[in-house]
Amino acid sequence: MILHVGAFHLDVDSQKTSVWRNLAPQTRILCVVLLVFAIALTPNGRWLSWIAYTIGVALLVLLSRVTLLTLLKRIAVELGFVSTVLLGTLFRQGGTVLWHWGWLSITTTGLMVLGSVVWKALLSLLILNTLVMTTPIPHLLQALITLKTPPLLVAILASMYRYISVLVDEAGAMQRAAASRNLLANPRWQRLVVGNTIGALFIRTLDRGERVHQAMLSRGFTGIVPLTEKPKYSRSDRLVLVLTCLLVLLGQGIYLL
Amino acid sequence: MITGQMLDTILFYGSHLDIPTHLAMHIPDGFLSLPVSLVTWVIAISLIAFSLNRVNAGYQERTVPLMGVCAAFIFAAQMINFPIPGGTSGHLLGGTLAGVLLGPWAGSLVMAVVFIVQAVLFQDGGLTVLGANIVNMGLIGTFMGYYLYRTLRYSLGGDTWRAMSVSTVIAAWTSVFVASVVCALQLALSGTVPLPVALTAMAGWHVLIAIGEAFITLIAVGYIWRTRPDLLFDPPQRVLFSKDSE
Repeated sequence: MILHVGAFHLDVDSQKTSVWRNLAPQTRILCVVLLVFAIALTPNGRWLSWIAYTIGVALLVLLSRVTLLTLLKRIAVELGFVSTVLLGTLFRQGGTVLWHWGWLSITTTGLMVLGSVVWKALLSLLILNTLVMTTPIPHLLQALITLKTPPLLVAILASMYRYISVLVDEAGAMQRAAASRNLLANPRWQRLVVGNTIGALFIRTLDRGERVHQAMLSRGFTGIVPLTEKPKYSRSDRLVLVLTCLLVLLGQGIYLL
Repeated sequence: MITGQMLDTILFYGSHLDIPTHLAMHIPDGFLSLPVSLVTWVIAISLIAFSLNRVNAGYQERTVPLMGVCAAFIFAAQMINFPIPGGTSGHLLGGTLAGVLLGPWAGSLVMAVVFIVQAVLFQDGGLTVLGANIVNMGLIGTFMGYYLYRTLRYSLGGDTWRAMSVSTVIAAWTSVFVASVVCALQLALSGTVPLPVALTAMAGWHVLIAIGEAFITLIAVGYIWRTRPDLLFDPPQRVLFSKDSE
């Protein structure tokens, strides 16, 4: 597809068919956003809610038939942030002390916060990755417009998406050029070179943006990026949305009963 | 063409080995509580709405191509690694750089767009905490960074390289440091990390990381100042006069 030339290939699984992929992209976005907000914003320690959501997320991952290995690899990379909470756990007061050594202590509250936060982050990462791996980015952007995101913002996002890999490549080429001239040999020089590279990259970026914009105008660009046909909205979309809402309410409702 | 896997590799070697930098502004989902998320989302949405209007009024039909390419520039610049004092390596956050080059409105719009793409497409930072991430680096990093730079630059004389360099360094360092303190406060308010630990981990590390940020921002801005000063948001007067005489 022309649209994907020179772009990221994130939607590794978008060509397969499954129940999940037959839904309109805006339904998928709504479901994922609802679930992520419900999961991530549930206060720490509400395990029953997360049991309900975990079942929902597991169903969604199974229904979408994503490549599980790729999914897990991506998530492993994205969990680096957990170390701060881990550190926080060691110093947290409150609850029963299970273990302590000098200033450090592990308490029940600390473990509760650690478990909650890690689980919330993991579930959110799972569904967000599933969405991106199963939906082509032009469809995501189209769906954002259907969901009443300001078209100007979506157009900027689309334009950025086209440029990312071009500029990442260009930055990589400039780095290789510097390395091949032995300019990255010592740290002091390296910082100078990196700073200059970024400055030069900005000048090239603006020039390139201007040039491409002129070329687009000469080909009849009027300020709006033409979009492909609209995805159909069917009865199953409504059904899935209602089920997601019910699941979200159920997860919160457990603690109200 | 970059595949998702290649990108993962770039992201892995580019930013995950240096966890401290990564701790910086990309909070994942589940780390902030409902009230903190809500308040920061409201601030972030109003910031995006205001800056969209301001930028569109200024650039008109050039808004989309120019903002898109500049957002991709910040994204690419954030991927370049450099050694920071203290032994590890870091990468640019780019808030103040965006402010100095593009001005407060376009700069914060570009930073917000970068964060949206990183959160939605690359899961680098969560969806529910996107508001907080935009407030930390878009509002504090870029908006505050720009006005600090501008105030300092014009109180130090304006169009000399000395005024320009001193104000850029101070603004870049302060914006990263303040953003990390605000980030620590958000984590502590949410009950995720106790305040002293959050402050030590975030602010402590960012004292160093901000030095790297300031240094790289200074060199990048210096390069543009020497070669194409007309591209700066506040170009020096000499450039304006020479343009008029052409």
